[in-house]
Amino acid sequence: MSTQLKCKESLEETEGNIDAAQQTAQGRVITVAVAGNPNSGKSTLINAIAGTRLHVGNWAGVTVEKKEAQLEYAGRKIRLVDLPGTYSLSPYTQEEIVARDYLVNERPDLIVNVVDATNLERNLYLTVQLLELGIPVVMALNIYDEAQAKGYEIDVEGIEKMLGVAVVPTSATKKTGLDELFKSVLAAADDLAGHMPRKLIYGEDIEAAAEQVADELRHRNLPLSGRYPQRWLLLKLMEEDSHVLEQMKLDRLDFLYQALHHLKKAHGDDMESIMADARYSLASGLTREVLQKPELRQMELTEKIDRIVLNRFLGIPIFLGAMWLLFKLTFDLSAPFGGWIGAMTEGPFKRWASALLLPLGAPDWTVSLVNDGVIAGVGSVLVFVPVIFAMMFFITFLEGSGYMARAAFVMDRTMHSIGLHGKSFIPMLLGFGCNVPGIYATRTLENPKDKVLTALLVPLMSCGARLPVYVVFVSAFFPNNSSTVIWSLYVMGILLAVLMGLLFKRTLFRGEAPMFIMELPPYRMPSFSSLCVHTWEKGKHFLFKAGTYIFAVSILVWFLLNLPWGVQHKRDSYLGQAGAVVAPVFQPLGFGNWEAASSLISGVIAKEIVVGTMGEIYAPQKDEKGEVPTLKEDLKEIAVSFGAACNKAVKTLFYLPVPEEKEKDRSSLRHALQGVFTPLSSYAFMVFVLLYMPCVVAIAAMRQEFGTWKWAVVGLVYQTMLAWSAALIIYQGGSFLGFGG
Amino acid sequence: MNLAKLRPGEKGKITAIGSIGPLKRRLMDMGVLVGEEVKVLKVAPMGDPIEVSIKSYSLSLRKKEAEGIAVEVAG
Repeated sequence: MSTQLKCKESLEETEGNIDAAQQTAQGRVITVAVAGNPNSGKSTLINAIAGTRLHVGNWAGVTVEKKEAQLEYAGRKIRLVDLPGTYSLSPYTQEEIVARDYLVNERPDLIVNVVDATNLERNLYLTVQLLELGIPVVMALNIYDEAQAKGYEIDVEGIEKMLGVAVVPTSATKKTGLDELFKSVLAAADDLAGHMPRKLIYGEDIEAAAEQVADELRHRNLPLSGRYPQRWLLLKLMEEDSHVLEQMKLDRLDFLYQALHHLKKAHGDDMESIMADARYSLASGLTREVLQKPELRQMELTEKIDRIVLNRFLGIPIFLGAMWLLFKLTFDLSAPFGGWIGAMTEGPFKRWASALLLPLGAPDWTVSLVNDGVIAGVGSVLVFVPVIFAMMFFITFLEGSGYMARAAFVMDRTMHSIGLHGKSFIPMLLGFGCNVPGIYATRTLENPKDKVLTALLVPLMSCGARLPVYVVFVSAFFPNNSSTVIWSLYVMGILLAVLMGLLFKRTLFRGEAPMFIMELPPYRMPSFSSLCVHTWEKGKHFLFKAGTYIFAVSILVWFLLNLPWGVQHKRDSYLGQAGAVVAPVFQPLGFGNWEAASSLISGVIAKEIVVGTMGEIYAPQKDEKGEVPTLKEDLKEIAVSFGAACNKAVKTLFYLPVPEEKEKDRSSLRHALQGVFTPLSSYAFMVFVLLYMPCVVAIAAMRQEFGTWKWAVVGLVYQTMLAWSAALIIYQGGSFLGFGG
Repeated sequence: MNLAKLRPGEKGKITAIGSIGPLKRRLMDMGVLVGEEVKVLKVAPMGDPIEVSIKSYSLSLRKKEAEGIAVEVAG
């Protein structure tokens, strides 16, 4: 058994263990769990302390983000484990289960409890629950500066005395109090036994019943010591906590119900509510003792802003404006940089690789593998970096500022009607730019059901990569009403998302709709450095985790295109052969030829590749062997084009004219397509491109966000089926109605 | 009388929480307790959800969830 810490009442029995705990504190790593309410400034505090040393991952098996950092302070090693922000430690939400399982099973040396000083009572409700665990607690009384500015007087020593914990006023945004916090943490770590929190009395009748339950347990030879902290276990049993009852494997609980019978009758309520009430009484009592609020309350800034932002008439226009700005900032700002990275990998990098490999006598296929497999693969990951970073930055800003909760408040009615949450709107919206940031943005949703359902529907939003496909086909077949046709595809995506949302709600996600009980936190200016740290962490995570899958698929596709050895014509490559094999599946959709099928297969890397592959198959162009630039020219070009990208990003942001880039001439491809497709089959093809399986990057994003392939596979399967059915209905229905020609 | 029926600006005292299980626990964890004073601040532009003030912070919840919270209207 690892170091077991007990409550004060049972210290005598466990002295040996305390010694062991002290040893841990002296020499080895001190494990500190950071717990607190959402919006208590906990992540800002963690970001301020750990900065880029933070390691972001997922808690095993769930979609909850896990942050950890190894630090050194005053020569001591500290391991910080950030627990999910929770209001309580109930057994119901993923976040709460993760937090309590960690605290109970992993037994950190101590807990830093981040408490919002401007909202003491509700924050102390969690503190009361943390104190039940018999782990020393150091309280970071955060947002203290704001509380002072509001005229709150908080008796810090009073809290220390009443709870038996060290209390340090902090301001994470201003980075004050962090040194003191660490000093208190080390002081507590050096004398864990001396820093045990006080046992709080939950009211006479509850304590009497608790005593009775404890007696009964002893009587039945079921001692409370062992795996779990004694006081915590006792209180959980009394709460009839489903998880604990299950884990204790108590066959007969009659004695428990008997002991609790009077209590329930006297309070006229269930045990869970009685205990919640008792804990809140403690939190309220304590708040009354230590907090003095000014008599006259001024209208706060948050109220003033909300009068406008949540106004009956202005609320929706403001929301739409904010969303438009979010979309613009995310995509317009990042696009030139994505383009710059793309051009860099396409041009100079490939040239350099060839320049390095050819003199070494590397065979052509190696050069091709490096260039078109490896470098192209790395490139396809890198082009996403700017957009992911931009999206993360602005989403984190929306959350940190408090507007995200308002956006959800405004949109919930609409989104709820298709079984989604108010916050689902933002991932969907981002999906129109690119599905990948859209999928990542689902992390703002707390409930796993909302999160998964939203991520499954995001790929139905027609992303920017599908537009080039539409453009080529529309210019070949619908030159006179091109915008109407493209518009119809976007609308179809939205309508099918609504339809699929309703369908999923009744099938895969049956049951009670997740609740919408959400705090509307005060508006706050998030700290810039905290935003950057978070953006960097998430971006890095994407780069290495999702990047691995994307890279692997790119290499695989290269092999498909270039094997068997010495393949001359695309048709004979594995890709072409695969296209020929699956082509009959597309026969009823109107495009059952190997060319279309192969293009669709290669389009899983990114949907715009459909056009590229078609171009290569239908209208192969001779390699232009112009002058090869020197290394110096290449380097200069990279720098110049980066400058141009910055310039362009700023200009697009402010609607200044940007010189049009020369579009690739696609006229030969258009002619070739006109020979193979009819307007009807081309429309069916576009619908198929819109709907069929998400690109590998989106699939990798889903895999990474949900920690399992399950939902990625569900998405892949349902979308491909949907695409096939929709294209079938359009082609066959259209032919029947006489649009076939 | 229940919380969903209060108009913006109206206050009430919670007399009972009708919901059960996780929903009730969540409400209680957020400070929605019997005896607590609650004030409706706003209704979302499209009529649902609502924003209330409880334990000196702002909470939003859907009307369906608010229907389960019985209140006694106070001045």
